Amino acid sequence: MKWICEVREMYPFGKGFNRFIPLLLLLIPMALYIVFYFGPSILTVIYSFTDVKNLPGSTYQFVGLDNYRELFFSGNSGERWRSIVNTLIFMFVVTIVQNGVALFIAVIINQRLKGDYFYRAVFFLPVVLGVAVVALIWGMMFDPLNGPVNRLYDALFGYQDMFFGSFTHAFGYIIFVQIWMYMGYSMLIFLAGLQSVPKDLYEAGHIDGTNKWQSFRHITFPLIAPSFTVNMLLSIIGAMSTFDIILATTDGRFNTRTMAYDVYKETFRGSLEMGLPSALSVIQFLIILLFVVVAVRQTRKREVEY
Amino acid sequence: MIKKLSALLLAGALTFSLAACGSSDSADPGGPAKGDKKVIKILHWKQDNINKAIEEINKKFEEKYPEYTVEYTTTGPDDEYKQAQRARITANDVDVLADLSGMRLSPQEWTPGAKVPDWQQWIDTGLIADLSDQAFIKNYNANDIEKAGTYNDKVYAVPTGKVAMSGLFYNKEIFEQNGLSVPKTWSEFIKLNDDLKAKGITPIVVAGKDVWPLKLPVFALQAKILGGGDQQKWIEGVWKGETAYNDEEAIEVLEKMKTLQDNYMIDGFMGIDYATAPSYFATGKAAMLADGSWDAPTVAAANPELKFGYFPLPATEDAAKNASFVGKYDVTWYAAEKGPNKEGALKWLEFFSEPENYTTFVKAAGFIPTQDNIQTESDFIDNELTPYLGEFELAYEIMMINRQNIGEHLAAEGVHTEFLAPGGPYKTAKELADIQQKEWEAAAPK
Repeated sequence: MKWICEVREMYPFGKGFNRFIPLLLLLIPMALYIVFYFGPSILTVIYSFTDVKNLPGSTYQFVGLDNYRELFFSGNSGERWRSIVNTLIFMFVVTIVQNGVALFIAVIINQRLKGDYFYRAVFFLPVVLGVAVVALIWGMMFDPLNGPVNRLYDALFGYQDMFFGSFTHAFGYIIFVQIWMYMGYSMLIFLAGLQSVPKDLYEAGHIDGTNKWQSFRHITFPLIAPSFTVNMLLSIIGAMSTFDIILATTDGRFNTRTMAYDVYKETFRGSLEMGLPSALSVIQFLIILLFVVVAVRQTRKREVEY
Repeated sequence: MIKKLSALLLAGALTFSLAACGSSDSADPGGPAKGDKKVIKILHWKQDNINKAIEEINKKFEEKYPEYTVEYTTTGPDDEYKQAQRARITANDVDVLADLSGMRLSPQEWTPGAKVPDWQQWIDTGLIADLSDQAFIKNYNANDIEKAGTYNDKVYAVPTGKVAMSGLFYNKEIFEQNGLSVPKTWSEFIKLNDDLKAKGITPIVVAGKDVWPLKLPVFALQAKILGGGDQQKWIEGVWKGETAYNDEEAIEVLEKMKTLQDNYMIDGFMGIDYATAPSYFATGKAAMLADGSWDAPTVAAANPELKFGYFPLPATEDAAKNASFVGKYDVTWYAAEKGPNKEGALKWLEFFSEPENYTTFVKAAGFIPTQDNIQTESDFIDNELTPYLGEFELAYEIMMINRQNIGEHLAAEGVHTEFLAPGGPYKTAKELADIQQKEWEAAAPK
């Protein structure tokens, strides 16, 4: 009977036609993926070199780099560059602050303090609310005329702000709302990571005389590095492709445009021409790719096996 | 063996399902039918008062022509509508569709490189029906059809009404109590504002948060000041390099708006959104509201007791020149050439254009009629708007044709006074004007 097992190992799916079954099964998701995801992505790249229009029956021609030239060397290119700068600011601030705060809160909640489930739920709640509701809530909080935040500012500093109507501050407030909204998500991932850290490591550390910071720095942090990687990636990609909260709060006014917002705007509100938004998407993709690759390389170094 | 069989079955199922994709449409009988009735698909944006009137007209239509069913779809306004419009017209899935202020921004010979607007591309690709020979077109004022329904000497659209944009709603009670009257010139207007301020009354409220409402008073200034009152000449001039965004007239426009923004508008107007601005005015928190005439029903609803009027913002010292509104055409109907039921679309437009039905519509919408001899029975239209309709001019936003890739200080056919201090980064009108001219030149076709 031993040979059967050997054959099984050599041919885990059997012999002859049977060998193709896994491939056939894979065909279904592959087909769906190609039709609905990979295909359109490749088409976007191709379209970015054409003057394709959102009109049935209209023909299109290859125009070389014209769309890219229009993006970076035309009348409003200054705004495009500012969108890119805004996107990078948005990404850095959101990634760093959101993960920092989330990690801090996750570590505190993980101390098994009373009512940790309640806190977990409270911090996660904004994620469930959805962008429209969040924008509405903060729109009311930040109402410059009668809003509670302005009253607080007035009482504390004798100062009033225009919030989402201010050229200098609106973007900062959007970043704040974005972090407020998604912090719970990062926190949950950190919590999952924290709970998988074996307790005996802390005990061993305790015997060796570590203090709280040392045990966090040398035991907790290296062991939750995988969650850190995941959170970094999620917040980088998330922040880079955010346009919904901008749309719902300032609608891109008052210097709050990002690349993702521009893509949305050019695609759905601009002209029927799809070449320019395609080119914009390609640039956005390249920038995201660059940062994701760098971030993955950096964080992977810190991960340890246990 | 069983494995082999299941694999075969699976492969078969796969190919079958793929094949099924290709022929799924053939089951459709083709014609637009709901039961025995022919469906007319109408696409419009959500606007309560207008939607109700159209639904009423649709009901009457279905009673008169029982062979038709009207499928009236409304989407959210602005972008959402624009998307729906594009999707449906290009899929030939609509018969009658509304557009806002139809037939504008069409490139001219003096606008090299200007973008061809959606509606023009639709007409050029044969998606819009030619209405030139339809009898119902004659129900409308020939001048309005010419201005807002004609392209290449053919009629493609029905402009259903006009709205004034350049006026200010004013609280009659506040004006009377303080012995103030409607100003006829710019200096009278400034004096009025000062008088109000001296009595502790906020003169003007405007919805700055949405930014576009700031354009409305500017339209009055632009129409009366640019080109010495000939806006078209100025706009052509700016394309040809004869006039400029930082010439004397253009700076005067910005300067005057800056005066209003700095001194006479309610504190924090950049934080007031369009939906709430009328309530500030209706509850007496400000004496005037800068808003379009279409918002009169909203103002009335916010405070049914309020007595209010509407006067054109007096842009210059010439009282006669000031005494007319600047505005635009509002809802404009197109019929789809390749829609499922073109014949039904024409029938519906004909029915809509019958004076009786048109009156129902125009009364509910609060528009200035584009058909002659319509009794709107509206105090507001008859007493507040009509006296100033003699020299009705189209707003800058409608007449201006922008260059492609124009910078943000001129985008969306506006001059964006929100960029002026204190809220915005530019301290003086001249600074903003210089940036605008620079952006205009930078966007010149290469």
